[in-house]
Amino acid sequence: MLQAEYTEHHLSKGVRLIFIPTVKFKTISMALFLHQELREDLAALNALLPAVLEQGSRRYPDKLTLQRELENLYGADLFADILKSGERHIPAFTLESPHDKYLGGKHGLLSDDMSVLGSVIADPLVEEEGFKKEYVEQEKNQLIKDINALLNDKGAFACERCVALMCGSEKFGTYKLGRVEDYNTISPVDLYRYYREVISANPVDIYVIGDLEERQVLQEAGETFNFFRNGSPKTLPSTEIEQPVKEVKRVEEEMQVSQAKLILGFRTYTAYSDRQYCALLVYNGILGAFPHSKLFMKVREEAGLAYYVYSRLERHKGLMVVAAGINYDDRHRAQEIIEQQLADMRERRISDEELENTKKALVSRLLSQQDSPIQLISSHLNGTIGGKIYTTEELIAGIEAVDREELAAVADKITLDTVYILRPREGDS
Amino acid sequence: MSTNYQLIENRELQESLYYYRFFPGLDLYVLPRPGYQKKYAVFSTCFGSIDNRFRVEPEQKITELPDGVAHFLEHKLFEDERGNVFDRFAALGASPNAFTAFTQTAYLFSCTANFEENLEHLLNFVQEPFFTEQTVQKEQGIIAQEIKMYEDHPHWQVFFNLLAGLYLEHPVRNDIAGTVDSIAQITPELLYRCYNTFYHPSNMALFVVGDLNPERVGHQVGTNMAGRNYQAMGEIVRIFPDEPEAVTRERTVKELIVSEPILFVGFKDNRPPGLAGRELMRREILMELLLDIIFGSSEQLYNDLYRKNLVDENFGAEYTAENTYGYTMVGGETGDPDQLYERIMEAVKSIKSEGISKEQFERHRRKILGGYIRRFNSLEFIANNFLAYRFKNADLFELPAILHEVSREEAMQLIDENLDSSKHTVSLVVPPEES
Repeated sequence: MLQAEYTEHHLSKGVRLIFIPTVKFKTISMALFLHQELREDLAALNALLPAVLEQGSRRYPDKLTLQRELENLYGADLFADILKSGERHIPAFTLESPHDKYLGGKHGLLSDDMSVLGSVIADPLVEEEGFKKEYVEQEKNQLIKDINALLNDKGAFACERCVALMCGSEKFGTYKLGRVEDYNTISPVDLYRYYREVISANPVDIYVIGDLEERQVLQEAGETFNFFRNGSPKTLPSTEIEQPVKEVKRVEEEMQVSQAKLILGFRTYTAYSDRQYCALLVYNGILGAFPHSKLFMKVREEAGLAYYVYSRLERHKGLMVVAAGINYDDRHRAQEIIEQQLADMRERRISDEELENTKKALVSRLLSQQDSPIQLISSHLNGTIGGKIYTTEELIAGIEAVDREELAAVADKITLDTVYILRPREGDS
Repeated sequence: MSTNYQLIENRELQESLYYYRFFPGLDLYVLPRPGYQKKYAVFSTCFGSIDNRFRVEPEQKITELPDGVAHFLEHKLFEDERGNVFDRFAALGASPNAFTAFTQTAYLFSCTANFEENLEHLLNFVQEPFFTEQTVQKEQGIIAQEIKMYEDHPHWQVFFNLLAGLYLEHPVRNDIAGTVDSIAQITPELLYRCYNTFYHPSNMALFVVGDLNPERVGHQVGTNMAGRNYQAMGEIVRIFPDEPEAVTRERTVKELIVSEPILFVGFKDNRPPGLAGRELMRREILMELLLDIIFGSSEQLYNDLYRKNLVDENFGAEYTAENTYGYTMVGGETGDPDQLYERIMEAVKSIKSEGISKEQFERHRRKILGGYIRRFNSLEFIANNFLAYRFKNADLFELPAILHEVSREEAMQLIDENLDSSKHTVSLVVPPEES
């Protein structure tokens, strides 16, 4: 059996529970995702929501109390975050603890874990019709710091800049944490009102994984996540991938750094639910996802121009980003070699080894996801976001069936949109 | 031919580990994990960036290395006479990688098919070096880019400045990859000299984990080794300089593009060189408890600092103990490094007078135990950490037992030795002043 079996239940309208029973892991893992659309005017609210909820609930009114409770649950790890995936923006909560059977004796951790998670999400600390003011202000400051801190990782910074330039007029151009100025106007009452709105109307997915009884999981989850729901759940728009490229944007920016970053942003015009999705995975694999890929072999191993060079998909938005850390003086040569690899892909210059090795690597990566609770969750979540749930078997069969015709068809659609270079200031490199 | 394994059972984790030592000294560990798709193998040598002066008994001649040789060698082993080692792994559907740390170099792969062929390839490429002038030269360009990438990495810079602030002589103060100048001195002869010493089976270990049959793995490794005619080798004598008790300097400041300053305080621990493996591990566990009690997210200090916007959620403390050095580091990104520094130093002072409550100690003990169990979901975690402890003569599987043994009193005793304000240094990265 390849695919982890799961069962799906509706706790109330738009609140879904997915239970994956397995004896394989040492843990009890659970997650809750609150689906929302990605929009510039909502971004700061969405980012602030998990950050504030995580500060404390009615039952655990501050972080200290909450953290101590988690420590007593054998170091259960609660993590609240905001995900950007395609044009979805998703407040996300995960909680993982060891499974009782490794602690000697019965501890009832499923019930305790779920009760803490439920308390944080469904029973927040409220004062004067709003979230606690102190927490809202504190988390605004933290998120503004996080926005500014993107600068600290030059590789990630350069990729974000490229995507922002590329999708400036689209919803996808919205940064995951929004803009600094958006935080000024949010009051604790606004945020609480927004919370009430999304928790009662937007789709919610809850996942539970572990060596557990389905009946007990269902019962606990039903009692814990009994949000008030407003009729049928809101329908969220799907990600727009058809933006045409009129002219390639070329932007260089300067910073006090040693190494230049070269980023090429492409549009693939292939969506997650498309028939050609598997061909796109294989295309990206041959081009730059692995150490045997063309980019690594040509730019690094043959030309010795870079330590890292890769291509990566944003699979819901249908973007492909190629990134390399290089000497600024090598930028033309590096870009030429990169573009030559894309040209080779279009002209079907793909060896049997490249094709077969990439398929094997992709299949291996898919199978390996079965060994991690969080990856099991993400792969199902991706299906929900992308509007098509693939089983592992379907994806493997799809990948194995990809031929050069389909790769050429995918390659023909791939269009360069933006070239971004972060360059050292004169004298810094 | 069956392998005469020693079976190591761990009751807490419900794991069975198979161990066997092959002549002339290669240690094999096999951990079966039924139900896992992935199989993972890591083949490591106890040779890291700090091993830069050595001799082999009975020889008296000492070899001295420029910085970055262990890491350079790691890169170069990926090339063999037929070309690139990645190609063969790729053909077998495996995902290979390698890393060099202060005390070890590891070669690894994960796969979901063709395990035996992949393992054979791992054993072969690591045991068959091929270094030429030309390939060495090409690698110098690639590693120079790797070094430059780290030059722009503020957390890496603050870390190495901290180590250089703590250590005057010990090679842990030097970057693992070396410098552009030091790697320019590397030659094929030097690589072979290191290879022949540190890649001898008696200095290596192999850990394999996944849905595997230990008998088959043992047979395969035994057969591979038997064909290579290894001879016993004299002991490797690693020579470390005399390190003063005191730190190198009080403070190191570096300007880099960062959104706000990064501050770390380091405390030097001079005790580890005299400690045996289990004691070293016990010390690590005690320090993890102690630091979590002082600086952890469930305690007053962190919550005060966070509320005052002085730290973010990445603020933290950790302790490292190896055979030849040890240190604590505390800190993170902060808008006010002076105030954060004051608060850290005060906290270290006040824990001595305030002490640790029984409730605190038990709660943190539970947290560490739970975190340890959770990490056993990851095959990579188990294999990599098992070998790291093995090279300091300790056993990862003993953590729960040691955790149950240790006491509050022992933790309190470590404050004087380990968080001594006369042996501390500060490393700071700040944004450049507007020019």
